[in-house]
Amino acid sequence: MEFKYDKHNRYHRFGRGVLITALSLWLFWWAWLMISLFAKNIAIPTPMDTFGALIDFLQFGDTITGRSAWDYIGSSLTKFLEGFLLAFVVAVPLGLILGNFKILQELATPIIEVLRPIAPIAWAPIFIILFRYNVGAIMVVFIGIFFPLLTNIIFGVHKIDKNLVDAAKTLGASNLQIFIKILVPSTIPYIMNGIKVGLGIGWMCIVAAELYANPLGGIGFYVANMITNSAYPEAYAGLVIIAVLGLLTTGVADLIHRKVSKRMGVDA
Amino acid sequence: MDGKIKIEGKKYDSSDRVRADRTDELYKHIPEGETLMKIDGLRVVYRTDDSETVAVDDFTLDVKKGELISIIGPSGCGKTTILRSIAGLLQPTSGKITIGDNECTTAGSDRGMVFQDFALFPWRTVKQNVAFGMEVAGVPKEEREERAMRYIRAVGLEKFADSRIHELSGGMKQRVGIARALVMHPAVILMDEPFGALDAQTRNIMQEQLTKIITHSERTIIFITHSVDEALYLSDRVVMLSKRPATIKEIIDVPWDRPRDRASPEFTALRKRILSELEKENVMQ
Repeated sequence: MEFKYDKHNRYHRFGRGVLITALSLWLFWWAWLMISLFAKNIAIPTPMDTFGALIDFLQFGDTITGRSAWDYIGSSLTKFLEGFLLAFVVAVPLGLILGNFKILQELATPIIEVLRPIAPIAWAPIFIILFRYNVGAIMVVFIGIFFPLLTNIIFGVHKIDKNLVDAAKTLGASNLQIFIKILVPSTIPYIMNGIKVGLGIGWMCIVAAELYANPLGGIGFYVANMITNSAYPEAYAGLVIIAVLGLLTTGVADLIHRKVSKRMGVDA
Repeated sequence: MDGKIKIEGKKYDSSDRVRADRTDELYKHIPEGETLMKIDGLRVVYRTDDSETVAVDDFTLDVKKGELISIIGPSGCGKTTILRSIAGLLQPTSGKITIGDNECTTAGSDRGMVFQDFALFPWRTVKQNVAFGMEVAGVPKEEREERAMRYIRAVGLEKFADSRIHELSGGMKQRVGIARALVMHPAVILMDEPFGALDAQTRNIMQEQLTKIITHSERTIIFITHSVDEALYLSDRVVMLSKRPATIKEIIDVPWDRPRDRASPEFTALRKRILSELEKENVMQ
């Protein structure tokens, strides 16, 4: 029987997606292999060596420090989560208030615009001196997530449908009720979008902050430590873990964003 | 003091806002057909950096209890500005609006509104949308549910009570908008081209349904439309506006019983006369 691709069949679409992704990864694998074979540089291990080191790392942990892979991953994820929660708790109320009160936003905008373009990682040495390794790394994640989240929320407050506010007024809602029952729900998709953007940046921040030879550090420290010890396949294994965890975080954030937007009646 | 134009009228905050449910009860003592709402010398001036536009000038109108009064006029003449001023969503430059003996200051639940683009809350279900006003007024949950369902049934959407807004068609959305305004029993209901965004067929159906609703319950409605046909089909009186700045050109009594026949000779004759009057006010000329 002849197979015909039907783009309106969800299984066909899924199968096609899997095939294309597999092809793409296969090409990547070959490109990597070719580069490593031709470069003949120990700083570019072959993919086989890297995945061998990855399996060893996941199975036996770090032979230099004696810590397990899950210990490193857990350490990174905990700090990442703490930094994210801190950013969320500060940015959401602040964004709603700044977006709602014009004068406060006018006062805050120059400050935000001065601080925002500074790469979060540039704060890392300062934060590590100020707060020590653990909280310092958390603060770098905080900075990385805070600004995209804040600007998205302020934008969301401004994008509110004025008609909905008017409708609420003619139904008798007080300003506080309008804030809680209209402003907050209609800003949620923008908050989710800010989280989506922020998580990607935050994940880069945590790894980068850990590269500052944090002895308590997570996966970023592992990579830095392995490079210092010229254990390149092991360092690359660390990078693979970073990539996979980064994919997972943004994937989860994207899923939540889409679900919430749908629930709130807004197109994602 | 009035010589120099004061662009913004008095400012009110939301503590002046009427939040109560069933504000029509407050005016029970006013008999049917007597003046319920007085709009006196309404004037709205828009100002930009280098120009001032008088949108509405000296608009004075008495709205009688239980009538449906429509306001028609050439497009861009300021119909919506008038309605938004009455609703309290826009602070008029000068003029006074009273219901009974109470002056209307800011927007509130005593003037319910139906919007042209529906203005429904997309994160709420149909039932939650209809119950919103009662919710903010502090009506107990059981009563809220029961009354919301009664009005949802009245507009024929009982199957969609738990649906979300994006699942509804335009006509269904506006039926939710109407139910949401009616359920609060406001003293006056304002409708801003409520059927303007609907196709012609849905529009006719909605007009018939609205006729049924107003003949069964005594409601005072101010209705904005640019369709002469719609105004004559629905209203007790038609207010014809001039081009900008909007002032009242003529008030026409529509004496016929409902439901009305759009094809009757009187209907067509009156429509023809109003259309030719409006033509003279065409802003394009």
